[in-house]
Amino acid sequence: MIPEIGHIFLISAMVFAFAGGVFPAVGIFKKNAFLISAYKPLIISTSIFALLSFLMLVYSFSKDDFSLLYIATNSNTNLPFYYKLAATWGAHEGSLLLWISILCLWSLAYFFKTRQEEDKYRCLTFVVLSQIIFSFISFTIFTSNPFERILPISPVQGVELNPLLQDFAFTIHPPLLYAGYSGLSIPFAIVISALLTNSNKSIWARQARSWTLLSCSFLTLGICLGSWWAYYELGWGGWWFWDPVENVAFVPWLISVALFHSLLVTDKRGFFINWSILLTIMAFASCLLGTFLVRSGILTSVHSFALDPERGVFLLIIFGYFIFSSLAIYALKSNARESNQSYGLYSKEFGLLLNNLLLVILALSILFGTFFPLIYEGVTNGKQISVGAPYYEILILPFAAGLALLQGVALFLGWNTTEDQSFIKRILIETIVIFIVYNILVYVFLGEITAGAFISGLMFCWIVAGNLIDFFVLNLKSSYLYKAIIRRFSVILSHTGTAVLILGVGIVSSYSLENEIKLSKGEIYSFGKYQLSFEDISMFNQKNYESEMAIIGVTDMAGRKMTPMLTEKRFYPSAKQVTSEAAIKSTIFHDLYVTLGDDLGRGDWSFRVQIKPFVRWIWFGAIMIALGTCLASLTSMKRKE
Amino acid sequence: MRKILNVVPLLIFCILLVYLFVLLNEDKNDLTSALIGKEIPVFELPSLKDPELVLENKDLKDLPALINVWATWCVACAVEHPFLLELSNNKGVPIYGINYKDSRKKAIDYLKRKKDPFKFNIFDSSGDLGIDLGVYGAPETFLISQKGTIIDRHAGALNSEIWDQKFRIYFPED
Repeated sequence: MIPEIGHIFLISAMVFAFAGGVFPAVGIFKKNAFLISAYKPLIISTSIFALLSFLMLVYSFSKDDFSLLYIATNSNTNLPFYYKLAATWGAHEGSLLLWISILCLWSLAYFFKTRQEEDKYRCLTFVVLSQIIFSFISFTIFTSNPFERILPISPVQGVELNPLLQDFAFTIHPPLLYAGYSGLSIPFAIVISALLTNSNKSIWARQARSWTLLSCSFLTLGICLGSWWAYYELGWGGWWFWDPVENVAFVPWLISVALFHSLLVTDKRGFFINWSILLTIMAFASCLLGTFLVRSGILTSVHSFALDPERGVFLLIIFGYFIFSSLAIYALKSNARESNQSYGLYSKEFGLLLNNLLLVILALSILFGTFFPLIYEGVTNGKQISVGAPYYEILILPFAAGLALLQGVALFLGWNTTEDQSFIKRILIETIVIFIVYNILVYVFLGEITAGAFISGLMFCWIVAGNLIDFFVLNLKSSYLYKAIIRRFSVILSHTGTAVLILGVGIVSSYSLENEIKLSKGEIYSFGKYQLSFEDISMFNQKNYESEMAIIGVTDMAGRKMTPMLTEKRFYPSAKQVTSEAAIKSTIFHDLYVTLGDDLGRGDWSFRVQIKPFVRWIWFGAIMIALGTCLASLTSMKRKE
Repeated sequence: MRKILNVVPLLIFCILLVYLFVLLNEDKNDLTSALIGKEIPVFELPSLKDPELVLENKDLKDLPALINVWATWCVACAVEHPFLLELSNNKGVPIYGINYKDSRKKAIDYLKRKKDPFKFNIFDSSGDLGIDLGVYGAPETFLISQKGTIIDRHAGALNSEIWDQKFRIYFPED
């Protein structure tokens, strides 16, 4: 009964969304005040029904209702209760419903945040949002309905949730990522509505900026969690694979970062208006394209859960409808006059222009790399090629360097022109000083200075000099230090976060140690600064898996015994799958990473041991970026003029 | 001039859209229909386990059967592996493997570790047989009739749902 109620709620939400996407627009066209004001109850009921429907699905999961095909294929009575709930978005159907629910939450948030706005403009925003919600709900209902029953004979036990996904980080990774994805619908709706109503840029640019910043913050966290999950759960110790699915999440991130920088110029100075509009459309398009590529089965990878061309066609129609019509609206309605003033070469405007060019070109190149294997296959009649990490690693370096260069001077550039250019000399000197210290430290602690450490260190020092050191030194004398920090805090935080991330990437990619070793019980192996001893291995049964767990004793250089490490191999009988649980001992400066391999017979086991210096810095930097963008969003939402 | 410039993004997008549509349809049908009803392409390739032994079309004796294209570098192959084991061990379905663009040592290790569901494996390191078969990725499974013609195929990991839908009826249950 509960699933039917959920199904009916979802259908009602679809009907309300359809009404909300059509009638208020007709009302504006016919100047009918009643139809126009109808958008308020419509968007609220759409959201509430969609959210209720999602809750019904969660409830059915908690009750092990295996008469639902979706639950029978993704859950199991032996699954711990928490994972039963998280299994709701463990596969295609449920994660779509999650996507929709999060978009509804965004719509509600936007609704309550903009109560004082003018009606026509706000109404059109919700028309666009309703249309997006409608298209995704109809996609769910017609091609991937999670409420589909297996009747009359329903199974008593379900197939398990993919064991790799039975993990805390992975249960919150999709909601965060989707929050970022679907959140970019809000600036999209704002921009379309602004184009149609010719509304004043001072209203829409600031609004679009706040909501882009917030989505970007979620997107950062989502990507960061995914990377962390891959690091400890896949057992390879890698943190980024340039997998197509990672790329299609990274591209919207890059574009949204470009977007909120460009919107800053539009908001404050009235330049880049058309460019900001186009970027907003691009950001939304890249989110849809991401969904499309992953779910249509065109790109297959570890992540892909739906290989169904029918779904692909449906999604392509959705994609085509929104992007075609928005670009058509842009072509017809965009008559924005850019500000007549000009700006100098040493100005914030020019810096942000470069920032945008770098970010967008990088995003397009990554997209190209993701698509290239498909193009190649088509041209060469089925020959396959894969574009892997080397392409992206070479590609990203000059862009990262350029962006780092800009980040270092970001705080000092003035609008229109920069009068006091003495900062360049100061930052240079500061950079050189800390870079020398940095190299000495690297040499002492890591033994040699590699190219990776050198380049990333240089970028790190430059950004830190420009954002932290010089800023503090300069403002220390003035009594405004506190105020200046508050005003610039979000920028400093996120730019420094980038520096931390870059340093982490540079060092972990050049100083990692890795070894495949064979150990028998009692044997000792020295690795880096550690002595590892294989103490014991035991087998035990858990509720939904069988486990082999090895105990590795660790002694550090000084001969102190540390807490032993436990690494596991789990076998999930209902999914017939083996997962490895790495043992990770982490400090600020490095991780010791041990994974249990196979039984080699005669009491010998294989292990993979790794030392990953500075790997934590990558995620720590990403979290700083997320906090910084979130803070920037909140402050810009609060500011009213 | 301004107006014309504004239309440019729309035009670029239309090209992209057409391209995506072509891509989607190509993947779906063209390759499939071209092969169905035809005989298996002629091959003469070494066996995986014994490099000296040359396998030919006539070695595919136990028919109807499945031909499974797999590789150790392919994640989805590892996912479908337990199901292949179940088919060959419990349901007695003959499965011939094509080890596709892979290293011999890794592949033998892999089968030792995960158990071997295959009658034998054709070692197609250059991927030539794969191209003749129109394989566009591993894993891929072909259904071969009693007469040695291709009846159907499935791209992607095999599971019980697809088995029931496409292949099951061709194999008598014991």
